[in-house]
Amino acid sequence: MSLDISFIGILIGSIMASSVPLILAASGELITERSGVLNLGVEGMMIIGAISGFALMVITDNLFIAIVGSMLSGVIISLIFGFLTQSLLTNHVATGLALTIFGIGLSAMLGKNFVGIPGKEFPILFSSLRESIPFFGPILFGHSIVLYFAFALPFLTNYFLKKTKLGLVVRAVGDSPVSASNQGINVILVRYCCILYGGAMCGLAGAYLSLIYTPQWIENMTAGRGWIALALVVFATWSPIKVLIGALIFGGITILQLHMQAIGFRIPVQFLSALPYLMTIIVLVVISRDSRKIKLNTPTSLGRIFYKEK
Amino acid sequence: MATDLRISNISKIYPGCIANDNVSLQFKSGKIYALLGENGAGKSTLVKILSGVISPDNGEVFLNEKNLKLSSPLDAKKNKIGMVFQHFNLFETLSVFENLSIDATEDNKSLRVRINEIFKKYNFSIDLDVPVLNLSAGQKQKVEIIRCLLRSPKVLIMDEPTSVLTEQETEELFISLKKFCDEGILIIYITHKLKEVLSLCDEVAVMRKGKVVSVSQTQNEKVETLANKMVGQKLAKIKKKINISKNKDEIFKVKHLNFYSDDPFETNLVNLNFSVKKGECLGIAGISGNGQNELFQILSGEIITPNTSIIFRNKEIAKLNPKQRREYLMAFSPEDRISQAAVPELKIYENVALNNFKSSNFFEKGLVNERKIKDHSKKILSDFSVNTDNVELKSQFLSGGNLQKLILGRELITAPELLICYNPTWGLDVGAINYIHETLIKINDQEKSTILISTDTEELLKLSDRIAVIYKGKLSKIMPSEEVTPEKLGVLMGGGSID
Repeated sequence: MSLDISFIGILIGSIMASSVPLILAASGELITERSGVLNLGVEGMMIIGAISGFALMVITDNLFIAIVGSMLSGVIISLIFGFLTQSLLTNHVATGLALTIFGIGLSAMLGKNFVGIPGKEFPILFSSLRESIPFFGPILFGHSIVLYFAFALPFLTNYFLKKTKLGLVVRAVGDSPVSASNQGINVILVRYCCILYGGAMCGLAGAYLSLIYTPQWIENMTAGRGWIALALVVFATWSPIKVLIGALIFGGITILQLHMQAIGFRIPVQFLSALPYLMTIIVLVVISRDSRKIKLNTPTSLGRIFYKEK
Repeated sequence: MATDLRISNISKIYPGCIANDNVSLQFKSGKIYALLGENGAGKSTLVKILSGVISPDNGEVFLNEKNLKLSSPLDAKKNKIGMVFQHFNLFETLSVFENLSIDATEDNKSLRVRINEIFKKYNFSIDLDVPVLNLSAGQKQKVEIIRCLLRSPKVLIMDEPTSVLTEQETEELFISLKKFCDEGILIIYITHKLKEVLSLCDEVAVMRKGKVVSVSQTQNEKVETLANKMVGQKLAKIKKKINISKNKDEIFKVKHLNFYSDDPFETNLVNLNFSVKKGECLGIAGISGNGQNELFQILSGEIITPNTSIIFRNKEIAKLNPKQRREYLMAFSPEDRISQAAVPELKIYENVALNNFKSSNFFEKGLVNERKIKDHSKKILSDFSVNTDNVELKSQFLSGGNLQKLILGRELITAPELLICYNPTWGLDVGAINYIHETLIKINDQEKSTILISTDTEELLKLSDRIAVIYKGKLSKIMPSEEVTPEKLGVLMGGGSID
């Protein structure tokens, strides 16, 4: 295995592919949290997205329906969370944890009949360019449409939050729901929308795993990526661009350490496996040291139950 | 166009409390109306109804004889009723402009033009692109007012607007309000400060226990008559006789107190030096957010700062934690009664036990001696005339005044040599304030010392022997209180200097 330039290109391409679910889930959760809602059910919503996407693909043999269906299933399961926390005023943390446990259990049950069924090939774009251009080909071309969407998403999210009226409303609700309500903003509605959007993105992240990244259904196949996405949002101090950086570092070191293990570096395997987590945290902490900026980005009301006076 | 706002038979009942009992009032534009009452008299409930935040159980609101249905804040906005809340309804992490643009219908460019027009007209000046958390309280209030003005309101309701302002800012506010009034905006001014009513308003309605007890022209009223109407009984006047004698011992001495923080919500303290004599009350004035929080926490031992020297009764205590400082007979009454001084979910006697000092034997071999604590608590309740004798009551059911009496009682029953209190009468009604003030004076009479950190200048002038002002983390020179006037304090609190 030589470290020539085209190999590095392929390596970077695979790093990008592995970070897609993190980017999608974390970007969705970021919007949810920016509205002041802490949804710890990311892992559960992702795995539900993964199984429903895969199941719909097998049943309908249509990838478009599978992708849309996985997002819808994310919406439906996050609606449960929204109803409990926003309408029945339950605790965000407990409800989110329950959602994850519920999602993992439900997906295992639904997925029983889909274990071992081979997946379908997902169409990739610009595959001819991928081969013809050295180095940049494998990086820029030959990916699924979901990957391109995922890499655009942090920038779109940033634009949405900073430049649009709706983004301003979301930030206002996350800053002070009482003030927002007194200004005539329907806090509950805004939070519902953000929760459902987060659910849709987590569903898509799950479907990326079961339809594109490793096209098959394996029980518990999200393997903790939901938790990583949650941690990314916090360590990226609620900044979409930093989420992207964090996801790439995590994906990158995950892939690199696999290669290092394969080459046979004389470093304990356990340490190599822990490396992605360690490095992601270190890098994100280092790039977000400015306590002033953190204060301005942190949704002040995060995780607090909002009760409207009557 | 003249505006006529009529409230007819409004009632609002909460479990165990009648907040508004058949309230009827009438307001006409061209005048400034005061709504006066103690805490819990129902003023805030009434204005929340007018601004659509809560809806009444009964009764109607008419604007120019049109029956208004105010079921949400949007309805109040649509009907041109503007409201400036006591606790600002701003988004701290958003910029001033974002705060103003959030419910604007026009594009950002023309909004900026309109905001600048308002700035010019009323002589305001605020940087639109800084986050609101960087503004002073006075500036924040201006942002709130501008937000109302942008919607060209017919009615402007101000809920206790001066509680966070300096004397100068208050004067500026009054000038603006009079201007608004001349332009035909109907102004309703909610307060419990009697002097403001007399200097600003044309007509005053007094509320007590949810009812309107009197409506009158302010020119026919005096401070005393209004106070009696508000409280419903005659109030005794208290005034402290100042006792400065040069040869008394210094019991408490702070040197080189510096505090530096990265947190934009905290204030840095720069080289504070002061001392307190036996039997003296040292007042520390200032607008909130100028370092009082940090100062209190350092004096109580919650924050330990390096290189600071605090001498108390000839011992160095700068490195001791609050519990150890209590053992040296210091006592503390923080500003926030509910989250810092007491735990609202705990019963009264449990809250009393929280401040466990060695001598009281509340705990034996790690076990709670419940009977001892309860006896002790009963003594506090009766000694400090707390309005209950049930030590099993959860503290959250005590009113602010009674909770403060309990906290002071808990601190004072150990006979401390020094009491440090921070806004002890914040948000209390006149009766409770009187009681707390009498208690604080009594402490000094018994040759014990107090440090009173307060944002209420009247209170400081009434209780302190010497006064200093804290501004942006720096302490002014310490002045004997007979040399201090409210105007002088106001200048210093706003960052000015006097000679």
